[in-house]
Amino acid sequence: MRLLIGPDARRFISGVLLIGVILFGQQVYGMATASGRLDPSLRGATVPTNVVVVLDFMPERFHNERVAEYGTFAGRDGALNRLRLRFVSPDNLRALSKVTWIARIEPFK
Amino acid sequence: MSVETATAVRPTRHALGRLVWRLVPAAPFLIVLLIWIVLWDVFRPSQETLPSVRDVVLAISDLAASGQLAQNVTASLVRLVLGSLLGIVTGVAAGFVVGLNRNVAEILSPLVVFFNAISGIVWLPLMITWIGIGTALAVFLIWNTVFFIVFQNTVLGVQLVPEVLEQGVRALGASRTETLRSVTLPGALPYILTGIRSGLGFGWRALIAAELVGAASGLGTMIFDAAEYHRSDIIISGCLIIGTIAIIMDRWLLLPIEKRTVQRWGLVSDAEARR
Amino acid sequence: MTAATGPRASARLLPLPPGLSVAARQLSGVKILIPFVGLVGVWWAIYAVGEFPERVLVSPARVWDTLVVLFSHGVLAEYISTSMSMIGIATAMSLAIGVPIGFLVGSNRYAARGLEAFLRYLQGVSGIAWLPLVIIWFGFTHTTTLAVVIYTLIVPIIFNTMIGVRAVPEHYALALRSLGASRMRLITDVYLPGALPSIVVGLRLGMGYGWRALIAAEMLVRQGGLGDLIFGARTSGQIDRIIGGMILIGALYIIVDRLLVQPLENLTIARWGVLRK
Repeated sequence: MRLLIGPDARRFISGVLLIGVILFGQQVYGMATASGRLDPSLRGATVPTNVVVVLDFMPERFHNERVAEYGTFAGRDGALNRLRLRFVSPDNLRALSKVTWIARIEPFK
Repeated sequence: MSVETATAVRPTRHALGRLVWRLVPAAPFLIVLLIWIVLWDVFRPSQETLPSVRDVVLAISDLAASGQLAQNVTASLVRLVLGSLLGIVTGVAAGFVVGLNRNVAEILSPLVVFFNAISGIVWLPLMITWIGIGTALAVFLIWNTVFFIVFQNTVLGVQLVPEVLEQGVRALGASRTETLRSVTLPGALPYILTGIRSGLGFGWRALIAAELVGAASGLGTMIFDAAEYHRSDIIISGCLIIGTIAIIMDRWLLLPIEKRTVQRWGLVSDAEARR
Repeated sequence: MTAATGPRASARLLPLPPGLSVAARQLSGVKILIPFVGLVGVWWAIYAVGEFPERVLVSPARVWDTLVVLFSHGVLAEYISTSMSMIGIATAMSLAIGVPIGFLVGSNRYAARGLEAFLRYLQGVSGIAWLPLVIIWFGFTHTTTLAVVIYTLIVPIIFNTMIGVRAVPEHYALALRSLGASRMRLITDVYLPGALPSIVVGLRLGMGYGWRALIAAEMLVRQGGLGDLIFGARTSGQIDRIIGGMILIGALYIIVDRLLVQPLENLTIARWGVLRK
């Protein structure tokens, strides 16, 4: 149908794409860069592990809350931007590695 | 096509048919009332989940007796009138300026679209920071809401006046002002009035929202305060009153004004076309 | 709006719902940004000249920085996502509930008249007025927000569905009926396409009201979303966030309205508008 390639249809499609990027862009980027985040020693973990979530910035309450959803929050690891998380299941570990604003996930010493 | 044509008055020959036609709008209200009574009788919910009809009626009469109702309604209406007057005056003025000048309209159009998208309550946090909570805040929010509606309708009305008419009058020697007064203004008037009527409806709603989030008096505040004490009967009373005022204002104040003013000037308006 | 024809504006004679842009030739492409550049310029000038404390006004650059930071910290993505999914779900549900109701009621003259007054009344009581009661029922949750937004959205949809259904000229239906079409066929082949332009207009109107109601609800319910963002920033006096949030609220609405809903409206009218009275 000619209508499917008219200006309105083009606008609609660009709208869908734009909204898609807005909603999912950051997520996709996070997934693409996931491997860089996880410390090598943590890859392939099969049991709940204790980790330190390292951020590039001073976290707000928002970030603390989000991180705490993936395990048991156990305070700071020296600095305010290093958050300790205990009993992080392998699934949650994988999910954490995909979060864009997390800089690194290190093993808990 | 307007909404009223969906249910245009149908002349029926039988008196009974006409009576039913007149009464049928009351049906949903009665049905809701019935459901409310039945629900309450069957489930006996707590006062805060669903007060009984009687509770609400008592609440209303208490509010009326204590003068609280009058106080809050007045406070709200005063804000509405202030904000709306400002909005109408500025809206019509700006509407004429922009409507008459195509270049200005073109340049401002994206800005208008944007500010219209954030009109009303989106300004609340910024305005609270700048002018604090209170009447000024409410008046600003109403002005903002009413202005954009009146403005856009005025622009449309002005632009839709056929240039031919204006040019004709000018050719006969009328000055700019006379043209505006005798051709453009009457021509745009139906749209302006629709805009005013629409704007006031939206303004009223925006006012309640504004008062709910940040004000010291008025119906919205009354509801908000009642919520703190879990007085659902007052909340519902407030909502019912808000709706009633909206209807009274629209049907018995604004609609007649719109119809009569336009009738006098012999113009066709939406209201005319509907009835 | 479309380009000017004879009179200064397009000869669009439908009563214009509030919220549509001025009837002027639209600037196209990049030229659309010029007025905004001017606006930012004025803003910057005011900021530079006045000596405003930080909690009153900040520069455009500062707002931009804040938005970039909030984005990189993942805050924006989540808040935007919350608001947009709310409006999306509310729209879907309002259509799913409202269109059938509109059809059912619209096809009967008496029912339509009966419902009309009730809907107008409900519209007069804005969804936000019910918010405290809904909070008592559902708490400070997304359900509450959703309920209020659906309430706001569904009224224009029902209204416009009723109008659309009633606008379908009877002889179309009669013609198909005489050829033996079933009730279902009548609905899908005559009434639905015929009512569709009106429904989409109602949808567009409703989404405008709904977006604003959503922001207001988010301010009170505080469970995420852009309304929460700007209202929360007020308590901490973060004007940069407030202004940034406002800009986002406006921009997102315009994106959805201009790039999704308006094209849909145009396509529907172009395809089925011929059935309009």
